[in-house]
Amino acid sequence: MSSSIPMNRTRKRQGFLAVFILPFGLLFTLFYILPILYAMWQSTRVVERDGTFGAAREVFGGLTQYQNVFSNTEFWESIGRVLMFGAVQVPVMLGLALLLALLLDSPLVKGRRFFRLAYFAPYAVPGVIAAIMWGFLFSPNLSPFDWVMTNVDFMSPTLVLWAIAIVVTWVYTGYNMIIIYSSLLAIPQDIFEAARLDGAGQVRIAWSIKIPLVVPSLVLTTIFSIIGTLQLLTEPQVFKTFSTAVNSTYTPNLAVYAASSIPDYSLAAAMSVVLAVATFILSFSVLKFTQRKAD
Amino acid sequence: MRTSRAVSVALLAALATASVAACSSDSTESSSTGGSETVAACEPSGEDVVNLSFTSWIPGIEDAVAKWNEQNPDIQVAVQTGPNGNSGTYQNFFNQLKAGNAPDLGQIEYDALASFRVQGGLQNIGGCDVVQEAQPEFIDWTWDQVSFGEEGNAYAIPQDTGPMALFYRADLFEEAGIAVPVTWDEYAEAAEKIDAEGGKITNFSTADINQFAGFAWQNGASWFEADDEGWTVNITGAETEEVGAYWQDLIERDLVASYPAWTDEWNNAYNSSEVWTWVSAVWGANTIQDGAPDTAGNWAVAPMPQWDSAAPASGNWGGSSIAVFTGTDYPYEAAKFATWLNTSEESLTILADTANIYPATLDGINLPTLQSGVDFYGGQVIWDVFAQAANQVPANFTWGPTMTDTYASISDGFKQVVTGNSTVSEALTAGEESTVSTMNSQSIPVKE
Repeated sequence: MSSSIPMNRTRKRQGFLAVFILPFGLLFTLFYILPILYAMWQSTRVVERDGTFGAAREVFGGLTQYQNVFSNTEFWESIGRVLMFGAVQVPVMLGLALLLALLLDSPLVKGRRFFRLAYFAPYAVPGVIAAIMWGFLFSPNLSPFDWVMTNVDFMSPTLVLWAIAIVVTWVYTGYNMIIIYSSLLAIPQDIFEAARLDGAGQVRIAWSIKIPLVVPSLVLTTIFSIIGTLQLLTEPQVFKTFSTAVNSTYTPNLAVYAASSIPDYSLAAAMSVVLAVATFILSFSVLKFTQRKAD
Repeated sequence: MRTSRAVSVALLAALATASVAACSSDSTESSSTGGSETVAACEPSGEDVVNLSFTSWIPGIEDAVAKWNEQNPDIQVAVQTGPNGNSGTYQNFFNQLKAGNAPDLGQIEYDALASFRVQGGLQNIGGCDVVQEAQPEFIDWTWDQVSFGEEGNAYAIPQDTGPMALFYRADLFEEAGIAVPVTWDEYAEAAEKIDAEGGKITNFSTADINQFAGFAWQNGASWFEADDEGWTVNITGAETEEVGAYWQDLIERDLVASYPAWTDEWNNAYNSSEVWTWVSAVWGANTIQDGAPDTAGNWAVAPMPQWDSAAPASGNWGGSSIAVFTGTDYPYEAAKFATWLNTSEESLTILADTANIYPATLDGINLPTLQSGVDFYGGQVIWDVFAQAANQVPANFTWGPTMTDTYASISDGFKQVVTGNSTVSEALTAGEESTVSTMNSQSIPVKE
């Protein structure tokens, strides 16, 4: 008798929990888990047909599509390209974001609210619009800075990747800054007081207290940025029309898009799965690496 | 906490397996019905009011559809417009066909028909009496495109063609004292003179592989052939290579511009009188008008430059058809609407006026609206040039079944060409290789 009362209570609580989880669980399953499982299933299919215009039949093909992905040089070139992009762009962007966040947090800055909004504003511009706008700025004939653009061709094969990096940095620096800035705000004030009593100046406080304490949010933004880099689509897609240097398989997601417009959905699905796994491994390694360092 | 997590995981797993099972049963069903190859019976549905959905990108097509709806209360068509085929609408069609919710009718260019047919997307409407009656009204080669040369079959109704000609700046040619080129040799000579004047004769487009195909088509090339045993791919034939070498030479000597086509920069190059000519199709008349408004009245149209002026020929760029998608419940009504849209004088007049659609019917050339001069072209009756060109398009050009990929890979190659890292010939070879391997991956038989 005495044990049945808590049992009932737990069951009741579980019932409540289920009700609260249901809306999320349902949407998460429908729009996240199921598409992933569907893509995995699609990636095991191959097409068979008889004759010149024979009807296509999808049959089980095992890992055939994965073989195709691994022997697809354009796909791996595109992965190499975004890794190079990420190795340069992510540190630059996060460095800028950290610097801006520290400036906003320092007592020396006036008009904090205005700058916070101003830095964040580019993130509110839709990606396509941002890319088109920068495309105009980079164009030697249409740019208001034509004296720069006629001397430095940002749309050339050597520079276009970095032109895209400029757009991405412009859009996402403010977003990352907000994440870092909010973790700066969460640092208890008494630590700073103690530091000031010990005679630390603003630079010293930033370097020895603030930065070490926002490392977790730097790790978070790094992982977000790695995922974003591997999934670059909008900017290169828009630049493809402006520049002869961006081809149809310039980034992994463009290659997926090109495969699905053949339409070869199975190959596109296999590419997506490989890309997802690569992203996961990379993000997880960064996480493990930084955690070990922290220990 | 722990138990509730276990419960939700189990729930997820159950849901997931159920849905995967649902997916797989779905697809076996759709693949067995996809691609009906025999001529299906084509009978009226017998319903009082039939509602059809239709997707297109032709400006002003809403007006033609409104006219039809007014006259046919029992067959009501709802039209939806989107970006042109290769810019997204084809991708939508493929996705809709896979999902089983394609519209009843869709706009498809001739070069994409084979791609949709191998995906089992096109309803054979050759058995419909309205279609059989309309066949003699069309220009022969356009009917070959929609029937794939098969007697009694029809996978779409031809709408328009894109006979090519030379758009040129009459004023600039006259001022510089350069004769309007009649042959491709003269065109190259003119290119040198224009370069000396500080202009460029034309812009080499890395995006418009169908334009390049039009150049090859004029020279008698055929990139594909299909018979019962399979496909032959011949993108690197002698006729195409000759055209490729010609453009390679102009690019190497820096006599042509290479702005990315269809951008503001490209428009600006024409509007600012930097680029003097464009070898394009009849619908290009609209493009120049919109893109280079400051040059109004200074343009004229001449026949396409010739390889052999003794045997004049013309290329074709674009032109499209209206297809009925598999999965429609109303093939008869859809075919009836498509036939009216592409043969009736009232519809063709609307399309010619709003979109410079050049009809695929033998009679279309005589439309009253195609007899008058165009102010933008100095009052020239430019249609006469295209009427002549339409009769000189070689009939034997065949499109392949994976043109999206063929275009993409040749375009990637051409982008390397204009930056000096490759040649047109290498781009064509890479395009052919990519095409064959994509066809293999789709199990489409390719003959060596």
